[in-house]
Amino acid sequence: MNRHPLVGWLLLAPSLLLLGGLVLFPIVYNVWLSLHDKHAFMPVQAFVGLRHYVYFAQDAEFWSSVRYGVIYAGLTLVLQLLLGVSAALLLNEGFRGRNLLRGVVLFPYMIPTIVAVILWKWLLNDSYGLVNHLLLAGGLVRTPVAWLGKDHIMESLILTSVWQFFPFVVVTYLARLQTIAPELYEAAKVDGAGAWRRFRHITLPQTRNVLFVIVLLRSIFMFTKFDTVWLMAGEGGVSRYVRTLPVYAYARSFTYLQAGMGAALAVLMFLLLLAATAVYFRALRGDEAVA
Amino acid sequence: MRHVSRRHFLAGAAVATTGTALLGRAPAALGQQVRELQVWHTEVEPQTVKTIQDTSIAEFEKKFPGFKIKQQALGWGDLNTKLLAALAAGSPPDLTHLNPFMTASLYTKNLLRPMDELIRALGEKDIHEATLKLQYFDGKYYGVTHAMGATYFAERRDLREAKGLKPPETYTDMLTLAAALTDEGKRWATQMPGEKLYMGFVHPAEWLAGNGGSWVEPKTWRPQLNGKPMLEALDYAQKLNKFMPQGWSGQKYLDTLAALATGKIAMAHLSGARTIGYIERYAPETMRDPDHFQPMFRPHGPQGRVGISALDGENWAVFTQSKYPNEAFEFLRLFYKKEHYMKYCHSVPIHLTPIFKSMINDAEYLSNPRIKKWRSWHDFMVRGLNEHRFLPIGFSRPEDNLVPFLAELDGSGIVADMVVEVMVGGKDPKAEADRAQKRAEELLTQLGAKRWS
Repeated sequence: MNRHPLVGWLLLAPSLLLLGGLVLFPIVYNVWLSLHDKHAFMPVQAFVGLRHYVYFAQDAEFWSSVRYGVIYAGLTLVLQLLLGVSAALLLNEGFRGRNLLRGVVLFPYMIPTIVAVILWKWLLNDSYGLVNHLLLAGGLVRTPVAWLGKDHIMESLILTSVWQFFPFVVVTYLARLQTIAPELYEAAKVDGAGAWRRFRHITLPQTRNVLFVIVLLRSIFMFTKFDTVWLMAGEGGVSRYVRTLPVYAYARSFTYLQAGMGAALAVLMFLLLLAATAVYFRALRGDEAVA
Repeated sequence: MRHVSRRHFLAGAAVATTGTALLGRAPAALGQQVRELQVWHTEVEPQTVKTIQDTSIAEFEKKFPGFKIKQQALGWGDLNTKLLAALAAGSPPDLTHLNPFMTASLYTKNLLRPMDELIRALGEKDIHEATLKLQYFDGKYYGVTHAMGATYFAERRDLREAKGLKPPETYTDMLTLAAALTDEGKRWATQMPGEKLYMGFVHPAEWLAGNGGSWVEPKTWRPQLNGKPMLEALDYAQKLNKFMPQGWSGQKYLDTLAALATGKIAMAHLSGARTIGYIERYAPETMRDPDHFQPMFRPHGPQGRVGISALDGENWAVFTQSKYPNEAFEFLRLFYKKEHYMKYCHSVPIHLTPIFKSMINDAEYLSNPRIKKWRSWHDFMVRGLNEHRFLPIGFSRPEDNLVPFLAELDGSGIVADMVVEVMVGGKDPKAEADRAQKRAEELLTQLGAKRWS
């Protein structure tokens, strides 16, 4: 290898070019764009330095979108974890039909987002939705609940997202559960440990690493989630009540037609996530199991 | 297996590659390369798409054998997004529908080709005044409307008449009617569409137009979102909200038409002749007629004289970057050829009212069975045109065709946020209007459209 360094570089070149072209260039171009006043489709632009960043620091819409993003990402994350871990624990047990159920659980994650959103919007529609029909028929409500209206749109969005993405937690967590040595549980049982104690003292410590990764990935995925939020409410008047940062960035770029400002929002989103990730790593750094 | 040497393998691969490439290029080499004219429009009804294909496209392709037309019918929102992406990439379609409020924005950026010759060929004097000069800038035409529809209320006439009330003229009349038609828990008086484009742009423009207001101060372009006309309109909208289903802001335009047809509401706030299709499909069989369902003009506010509705009529436009502009104009000549155009307009009768004055009351046009049955809806459309009760979508006054930032104002959602906070959020109209005014002033400043000091 030392005799032919050029050959090495030539062999690496396709990968480097791909990485540079598909990963590095868009990032650098986006940062460069954020420093310009650039129309979305006209070839006109002017350098404005950090002006967009200064503007967003005082922009109520920006802070509102950060707040909605944190609420959405936070609540969906917690619910996905609760549901996903519970489902994984259940599917790790031996019972009849387990394999079929394992396949069924994956279903929401396998269907396209547009289908999932249309399905839930149809179910939750206050004029003809099944959910309201059942609530009314069961005498639980007297008038249909406006699930897609101002007061409930965030809950509906969270419900749809949790339903669609909890299988990721199930699959990842279940994979780790299956590698825990059964002897550990047998020994605990012999020592008289109940189900809760076995979970707390064996399962949880053993799955700590995978939980760390799940929390990290799902936080990032949910904070940057665009399609579900947009399809659920993006074109509607209620979008005001679920306008997360990715949606606001999209709007600045493609409906306000201010590509430079949209790029600045994307950079800010990246920086916010970077800071949150750093804090997360730092908070768990001392933990050997995680490290 | 026979051994193949590297040399033979490479030679074989080279021959195969060259052959494939030559075969792929064969039509070009033989002078048979088919050029594709990209045509995008917003008439998504399958029968309309088929009519265009069978009439003007068929004749065009016969006349120009080297060309194929690829038509793409897209919902308005989809077309807008796709168009902006195509413009950003520098490859827009050869011919497209545009909304008049976008045309000015594109004209000022030198993206449109003039089409005076075509307009003269079609008959400048025969094109209805409601549409003729919507894309007229600096003495040239930059667009021609494909057909005219209008938005208005569609009402359950029988219910209103049973209450002994006349069609409302003013905001106060409308609120009285809405209160009378609301049957708590069973039927709501009306429902607005929840899409941002409608509740946050089309309707506010109508409110301004029907209450003596305008989006911007004509000379300085300073936004007028917290002026008296808008404040009064917001107050009216907030009161009207009490007679609408709670979840309207999460529902769509087509949901409101279905709700009207099935008796869940007494008036669809945004309706057009397309509503007839819903009535004929979903209303009880004994009620599928104009005795039960009628269009109704918008009421006006205290500062206005007459209620104004949006005229739904996109215009054809040819971009400066179009690959085949001459052929695009040739296609338009065929599109408006009477025999083709008549069939086009009949594909969704009344919703596609002809732009030619000579055709609107033409016996052949009126002989369509649906127009015959729903003649009062056609007459209503003609009356609205004659009485100047329609303005293009998003216009608060006729001169708004010269305002180059309406597309951005619509896209920003500033007005939609204001409306939804006042109507659904129950917030103070003045406070929300002031907030929207501040945001709009910031936006126009960022767009370089600030002319006020």
